[in-house]
Amino acid sequence: MLAVQVLINALVLGCLYACIAIGFSLVWGVLNVINLIHGSFIVLGAYLAWGAYQWLAISPWYALVIAAPLFFVFGYLLQRLLLNRVITAPVLVTLTLTFGLDLILNNAMIYYFKADYRKLTLSPPTGSISLFDVVVPVDRLIATASALVLTGLLYLLLRRSKVGRAIVAVRLDRDAAVLMGVDVKSIYAIAFGLGAALAGCAGVLMALIFPISPLTSSAYLGKAFVVCVLGGLGSVSGALAGGLLLALVEGVGSTLIGPAHATTLSFVLLIIFLVVRPQGLLGRKGFE
Amino acid sequence: MVQSRLARYARISGSLLIAVAGLAGSASLASAEDVIRFGAPLPITGPLAPEAVKQQMGYNLWAEEANKAGGINVGGRKYKVEIVYADYQSNTPRSVQTTEQMITQDKINFMFGPFGSGAAKAASTISEKYKMPTIAASASSSQVYDQGYKYLFGTFTPNDTLTTPLTQIIKAKAPEVKKVAILARNDLFPLAIAQEMEKSAKANGIEVAYFEKYAINTLDHSGTLSQIKSLAPQWIFVTGYTNDLLLIRKQMVDQQMKAAVVTMIAGPAYQEFIEAAGQSAENISSASWWHPAEQYAGKDIFGQTSNFVKLFRAKYNSDPDYAQASAALCGALFQMAIEKVGSLDREKVRDELAKMDVVTFFGPVRFGANGQINSLEPPVFQIQNQKAVVLFPDAIKQGEFKLGVN
Amino acid sequence: MTRVNLALLILIACVASLPLFGGAYALRIGTIACMYAIFALSWNVVGGFAGYPSFATAAFFGFGAYATGILLNKSVPLSVAVIGSLVMCFLLAAALGAVLLRLRGHYFAIASLSLVEVFRELVNNATDLTGGGMGLNIPLASGSGILADATFFFYAMWGLLLITAVVVIIVSASKLGFGLNCIRQNETASDMVGLNSTLYKSVAFGLSACFVGAAGGIYAAWVHYIDPSDVFDILYSVKPIVMALMGGLGSPLGVVCGAFVYLGLEEVVWRNYIQIHSGVLGVLIIMLLLFLPHGLISLRSGMFWRKAKHV
Repeated sequence: MLAVQVLINALVLGCLYACIAIGFSLVWGVLNVINLIHGSFIVLGAYLAWGAYQWLAISPWYALVIAAPLFFVFGYLLQRLLLNRVITAPVLVTLTLTFGLDLILNNAMIYYFKADYRKLTLSPPTGSISLFDVVVPVDRLIATASALVLTGLLYLLLRRSKVGRAIVAVRLDRDAAVLMGVDVKSIYAIAFGLGAALAGCAGVLMALIFPISPLTSSAYLGKAFVVCVLGGLGSVSGALAGGLLLALVEGVGSTLIGPAHATTLSFVLLIIFLVVRPQGLLGRKGFE
Repeated sequence: MVQSRLARYARISGSLLIAVAGLAGSASLASAEDVIRFGAPLPITGPLAPEAVKQQMGYNLWAEEANKAGGINVGGRKYKVEIVYADYQSNTPRSVQTTEQMITQDKINFMFGPFGSGAAKAASTISEKYKMPTIAASASSSQVYDQGYKYLFGTFTPNDTLTTPLTQIIKAKAPEVKKVAILARNDLFPLAIAQEMEKSAKANGIEVAYFEKYAINTLDHSGTLSQIKSLAPQWIFVTGYTNDLLLIRKQMVDQQMKAAVVTMIAGPAYQEFIEAAGQSAENISSASWWHPAEQYAGKDIFGQTSNFVKLFRAKYNSDPDYAQASAALCGALFQMAIEKVGSLDREKVRDELAKMDVVTFFGPVRFGANGQINSLEPPVFQIQNQKAVVLFPDAIKQGEFKLGVN
Repeated sequence: MTRVNLALLILIACVASLPLFGGAYALRIGTIACMYAIFALSWNVVGGFAGYPSFATAAFFGFGAYATGILLNKSVPLSVAVIGSLVMCFLLAAALGAVLLRLRGHYFAIASLSLVEVFRELVNNATDLTGGGMGLNIPLASGSGILADATFFFYAMWGLLLITAVVVIIVSASKLGFGLNCIRQNETASDMVGLNSTLYKSVAFGLSACFVGAAGGIYAAWVHYIDPSDVFDILYSVKPIVMALMGGLGSPLGVVCGAFVYLGLEEVVWRNYIQIHSGVLGVLIIMLLLFLPHGLISLRSGMFWRKAKHV
């Protein structure tokens, strides 16, 4: 029974991890920027959900609808005004720039919200479903479903819409995309905006599950890193596969060899993947 | 070529120096006469930031009360209290640096220790070097005090004074408790207290069925908790900070874990834990060094414990917890020692602290030979109906221990 | 020896006179300045010469600190412990480098970043050896007084800086430096002309780790207490990069100046903006990247004149 429970836990958690990572993966894949501000975006999204519920009594489901456009605009402007200036610079420069941005956003959140932990508690509490001896908490289930819907929407967007095709084109071959008449600058900004919007939405969902504090941003960012590398960059299905694999490894690892080693295990896995299979589980070769 | 480059560097560094000097000048504090400066290095940013806020509240409350009364009376002359804060970014070596900076640059008179046992221990080396009387408001591990230092004092009793009474109560009230599962955050204080728990469980004939640590940034505990659930312990003992404990408690409810006794340290001592955990906090037991329900007739500036609670509520609109009270106590102790000797001489104040034997709003205060307080009886309490109810010591007992956490 | 390198040695020599002017606190800042300069110089070997964005500085700093700390607890003399850490760091990094430096760009950045996490968690979980989350206490080296202690550790760190600088200068003028330069410009091409790039990169990674590890060792003896979240702080990885960007990538003189300037800024910002210092630091980093993308070394004296004329 324990094995089934661990498996179910991992399945649910894996979808949440995918949700955390997907915006990060999109930005990395398309812009070739490691977006260190991603973790703070998620926390900001969580605060948005918390504030909306606490002060305006807006339920997190609606907060999701508010967060997406807000974060999109924020991300779009940030890319257009700041990141775009160094987008052609070496890896190191873009990385350090997003690090600086993260310092600012995180400090602003500590200053404004203080560092103590908040918790969004829905009333009435949603409880858990149990089947035989296996228990699944309802709020996680809902968050997982929403995460799946979000990833599905992104998948459709990238597959079906004109902008989506352009984003994919830029990811696959920037120069060719330019030749085909794609406005790369605006695609970059749109992709970054989408990444921010996904982070904001992920934050809203995480608010249901985890305590909220500016200090958790590095934990989210760490998960995003691992998921991305495990699954493969820039692809929606890759993020899902990476999330599930990470959750499974952590769950099984913490049961078999103790919770203290779960994090070590996930990072060792990351290094092994980088060395042996840098394109990730589902990625194609040629992105590295 | 070299000359032009050197000249360039000289110019750059010159202008930077001017900028630095300007900034430093604008920020330097006007040092008025008749002020006693207390240095308080705190982890204002970084992972320990929530704890810094608490200590700051305690120090500020004391400073405000002391200044309201005209200041500290030193041989007939009134001195205002000024607390010099600095952020050490939750980084222990930085706390050492900050301590040295405060002593040598900011010319403080006395020192409050940085947060927690690790930083307090590291910084105590500096205070000892400069012979600076230091009171640590939140260091409990006896390793901190066993260094043989003369100038370090601490207001928390050793960790085992928390776990031993707890175990004894549970043994007496819940004889069906045979197995305990211990889950600890891999961090100085939470891990140390979990190890004490393991010892006192063994000493009282309770089997330790599970003992594991979790990493500091753990986001999910479901695997661990499923495993604990499958072992069916009657007592689940978890240590960590408020965020960890909230998350673990939530996941315990999610997984429908039930146990006769659930103990969490240090979360339930904080009002925000009780509020955030809501219904799920019911019947969780804990222990801490102080509780607002205590009633002591203090000889310090705050007097009765209830008076301290009242002043705290008036200023912050919330109930004080042990961390805030301990910080305020540190100030009050310095004030008593300074007023008694009527001098700001560090040696004299240090000697006075060492032989202090007095009742305060926090409880009786007497420091052992190593500088750690040895006169306190830390209370054991349980959350009942969204309120902390004291179970021990008997003198301030408010209710009976209740079994069953769902 | 070029004149720029001579200027670097002169600069370092000037730093040595610090004890003549300052007290214990100035010496503490001076020790940190030397440590930062060691970080920046070391990072420059792999990041500046070879062009690999390494985030592993914190990993080897922490490793060196723990190695020395554990040796000191087994009553090994300080000098032996520090040299031991240096050698261990070199071998470990060279071995890891042979594997990890096959990755390029972001992938290498992330792999080196994960090294920090892995090392930290390993140290965290080896409670018997390292004390785990409870930290490691290191016996006091001596009780010889405040100033003597401060001076001792300042000169220890300064000496290490001097050695680092000399080694880096030698490397930059040697075949190794030339090879690393080729690798940065076009690794595939250098492979084809018969350069053993794996060996070169491994040695470079080892060199970039060993002095950092030794600095970690001196640091551990200096602060008497280390714990995993402190010495494996990811900021130790990021700071050298900011310093190098500040001073000018690839130039030893530039990165050392960058380190000193960075420390100055950090001190000023940290002292004056208690609540918002990390935000201010972020703003500084962004301004630097946007307006001074090639570091201080790119400032030409002519620039000031030109600007003045326009005004």
